[in-house]
Formats: sequence, C-alpha cells, structure tokens
Amino acid sequence: MRDRLRRNLTSYVMLVPFLGLFLGFLVWPLANSLYLSFTDFNGVNVPEFTGLQNFRRLLFEDDRFRHALMNTFVYVIAAVGLGTLFSLALALAFSGSSWPHRIMRTIFFLPSVTSSIALMLLWKWIFNPGDFGLANTVIGRLGLDTVEWLANPSLTIPILVLMSVWGGMGYGMILYVAGLNSIPHEYYEAARIDGATTWNQFRYITLPMLRPVTTYVVVTGLITAFQVFEAVYIVFRGTNNIGGVLDSGLMIVPYLYDQGFTHFKLGYASAVAWVLFLIIFVLSLVNLRLGRAVKEL
Amino acid sequence: MATSRNGHLLRLPFYLLSLTMIAPFYWMVISVLKPYSELTRQPPSFIPDTPSLTNFYDPAWTPDQVNPGHQQGLFQRYQVDFGFWRFMLNSVFITTTITVGSLLIASLAAYVLTKHRIRGRRVLFLMIIASMMVPWQTTLVPNYVIMRNLDWLDTYQGYIIPALAKAFVLFFLVQFLHSIPDELIQAARVDGAGEWRIWWQIVLPLLRPALAAMSIFIVLWEWNNFLWPLIIVQSDEMANVPVALARLNSYFSGAQHQGAIMAGGLLASIPTIVFFLIFQRYFTRGIVLSGVKG
Repeated sequence: MRDRLRRNLTSYVMLVPFLGLFLGFLVWPLANSLYLSFTDFNGVNVPEFTGLQNFRRLLFEDDRFRHALMNTFVYVIAAVGLGTLFSLALALAFSGSSWPHRIMRTIFFLPSVTSSIALMLLWKWIFNPGDFGLANTVIGRLGLDTVEWLANPSLTIPILVLMSVWGGMGYGMILYVAGLNSIPHEYYEAARIDGATTWNQFRYITLPMLRPVTTYVVVTGLITAFQVFEAVYIVFRGTNNIGGVLDSGLMIVPYLYDQGFTHFKLGYASAVAWVLFLIIFVLSLVNLRLGRAVKEL
Repeated sequence: MATSRNGHLLRLPFYLLSLTMIAPFYWMVISVLKPYSELTRQPPSFIPDTPSLTNFYDPAWTPDQVNPGHQQGLFQRYQVDFGFWRFMLNSVFITTTITVGSLLIASLAAYVLTKHRIRGRRVLFLMIIASMMVPWQTTLVPNYVIMRNLDWLDTYQGYIIPALAKAFVLFFLVQFLHSIPDELIQAARVDGAGEWRIWWQIVLPLLRPALAAMSIFIVLWEWNNFLWPLIIVQSDEMANVPVALARLNSYFSGAQHQGAIMAGGLLASIPTIVFFLIFQRYFTRGIVLSGVKG
C-alpha cells in the first residue's frame, strides 16, 4: 500500500514539468487572451472590460480587418488548391524507388528544409524591380518590359501564392507518395484484366484510395496557410505599412502583429487572435474526424 | 517498354518544373559569389566572372572612408562580437536546448499517461489533444505580457521555457507507447527498478524512433522560428538567425546590399539542408508517420 502511494507520488512528480509548462504557457495564456479580447488593454493601463466592443469593431467597422480577411481567404484557397494539385501530380510522376525519382523528390523537398526567412529574402531579391532581378531578366529574354513586381497591388497575392506553392508542394508530395505506395498492386492488375483504361484506373482506384491523404494534405495546408506571416512581413512590408502597397498583402496574422506589437492595442489584437482561433479550430475538428481515416493508411 | 518511354514523355513537364526549383537556389549561390560591382550589372551574369567572398567580408571596405565599388560584407554589418556567428550560435543553442528539453519532459509525461494508473489522466490527455487545435498565435499577446512581467524579454529563457511543453510531441509519443507491451515495464518493476530508472533505461531507448522523428520537426521549427523571437528580442546580441536576417532586410534595402543578405541566407540554410541530407530517410518516414498518426 505504501509502495503504491510512493509510486503515485512519483507519477505526479514525473508529470509536473510538462504539465506545469503546459498550464503556464498555454492554458493560462489562452484563458487570459480570451479575457483581454473583451478589454481595452494597451500594454500599460489596467485592462478595462469593454464587452463585445472589440469584436463589434472588428467585424462591422474595421475595413482593414475585413480587407485582411478577404485577402487571407483568396490566398488560402488559391495556395492550398494549387499546392494540393501539384503535390499529387509530382507524387504520380515520381513515386518510384529508382534514383532519378529519388533525386527529383529530394529537389522538390529542398525548400521544406531551407531557412524560411532566407527563402523570403531570396524571393524579394528575385523580384527586384531593376533589370538585374532574376524575374525581370527572364521576362526580358521573352521580350517583355520590366515589371515592378512587389509594388503592383494586383500581383501581390499571385506572388504570395507562387511562393507558397513552390515552397510547399514537395511536402505534400512526400505524403502522397506514401499513400500511392500503400495501394495494393492487385487492384490495378484486376482492373487491367477487366480492360480498364489508365484514366479509369486513376479515377476509380487511385483517387478514391488517396482520399484520406488528400484530406490530410488539404486540411493541414489550410491551417498553415491561414497563419501566413513571414512572407508578408519580409517580402511586402513597407516602411509604415505591414500589408504592402494599398494593404494588398494584409493577412490575419500580420494584422494581429500590427495591432498588437506596432500599435500596442493588445486587447484588440487578442480579439483578432480569437477570430483566427475560431477558423483554425473548426478546420482542426474536421481534421480530427477525417484524420482517423488516414490512420488506416 | 513502350509504356516506359511514354512515361518519360509524360514526366517531361515535371523534369522542367524541377529546373524552377533549382533556379532560385542557384541564383542565391551566384549572388553570394558576385562582388558588388557585378551584382547590379545589366543584364546579369549567370556564371560569376570574378567569384569572390567579399559578400562575407570585404577587406577593402572601411567605415570612415567611402570606397566606391565596395560594400560591407555580412560580417561587417553587425555591431556585436563574432558578427553573424553570434546569431548562428544563439540559434544552435536555443534549438538544441528546446529539442532535448521538450523531448525529455514529453517522454516523462507520456510514460506516466500510458503506463501509470493515475486519477484524471483521461481528462488530461483530452485537454492536451484539444490544445493541438489552438493556433499558437492566440497565446502571443498574453505570453508577451508574461515575459515582460517575469523580466524575460530579450533572454534565453524567454526563448526556451515557453517552447518546452509541446502538445503534438506528447500526443505522438503517447500513441507510440501504446504499442509497447506493459509486460516489459512490469518485468522491470518486479526486478526492483525504480520509476526513474525504468523511464531512463527502458522507455527512452524504446522510444528512439519516435524521438528521432519528433526531433526533426522540432529542430526545423525552432531553427526557423520567427514571430515569437521578433516580439521578445530587443537587443542586437539576442537575435536568432531569422531575426538577424530580417533586421538586415529592414536596414539595407537597396540592390547593392543583396549580396551580403544572400550570404546570410546561405549560412542560415546550410545547417538544416545538411541535417536533411544526412538523415533523409528519417525525414520522409517522420513526415509520413506523423501524418498517419496525427
């Protein structure tokens, strides 16, 4: 009995480091953030409760936030849609174990292991407005005039999408390759005996079998894309404006940073954070339910 | 073999696409090797005429005297001891500490949650799973306030302590430990081994593949961590590599500075790329495993 008690005590002692830090830097801040989102906290004052005012302003009066939401949704849909398509296509092209396939997979995966800030700085340099930027050199060879890539608001989201797809498709490809290689060969053999065309095999065997992987790639892609920050901050931020020219690249997290840590409206920033929370939470619930299916992979 | 040739033809666009993957990297490397005068030449050269390392350090540049045709190298741009190495050391220290620390405390907790019968473990585990759905940016403002109140802004503990309890690591280790039979641990208990010894000598070795997979994610995440450091770092010395690079980008925006900036980007990328090339197999397996379980 005493032995049992001592073991129980040890159990709790072993739990304490994780649990303490988990409660202190995650659970408590989360509760605190919810509280602050209903206050006018500015980092210095004693937070005063203002009810739903932050949320009312955010959702009905703040044009910049509405703009940020719109931008984020357009960006997320384009980046995740194209990213998933390219991931699947790459996996179909290079799922083998021969060395050319392995080298191709390594090349496409390379951005996933490269310093993300370094990549953003590289893109900024590639899209330099001078004739010596790589992008302008390439279109110059094609006989076109130089473009002010980063100063043209209508190009901002396409460039952000390009950077996201370029950097992320290798990661999705790896997941799809694993999915493809887990489909039993017998299915295809049986289909061929029945005279199914290549397209029909893809349509009626490959795609349905890959559905759990697709769900996983799409949902995790959505969650990552909604949190986009670095690309905007490094590539598009102007001297006084985080969102680039005419706020064309303003997104949710950059706006949170802008309100919270440039203007020190910490209560208002917390309200922004909770809007993000709701979006991600719903997506994660979908992921959790469909994630169970991936387990059978 | 007609189908094989057909396959190669179908793959052709993707082989071409791989060139667009390599081109930016190539551009980065040649930008580092081009001296300032060559960097802004129009049209640009695709093979550096006079490759040099002046983008790291240019001996011809002096602070008090304008020397046309020369720019500060990367290591001449920070007023801290050891220049850019200081930030590399900061990043290496922070990344290793968080990786080792978070794996140790998560494995302890995972061991208790799977192999000990304690009150409330279900509730605890549910709470931890639920927390994985929270975008961490939601805790940004309160954690900043906590750091300020503890006087931890601009310190290593400000980087490390809040990053140690990682729910996804615990979740992954719990799943992994479920597949290990309880008898192994019971047998050790019968032999008189204490709980700490069981954890250190039995549980940790059994967890090795899971720890390897998780360490890859943690290392990549912490090496690239940007938003949190951006908020808590104030001094020059305490920046990690991403913040140091971002500062370079804010202070020097002209084309003449891009050589030094790319030099910094290259130094920032080499460790993780080398890490990847060495442990390539574990990377892909880790991604698939976490995808399957997560």
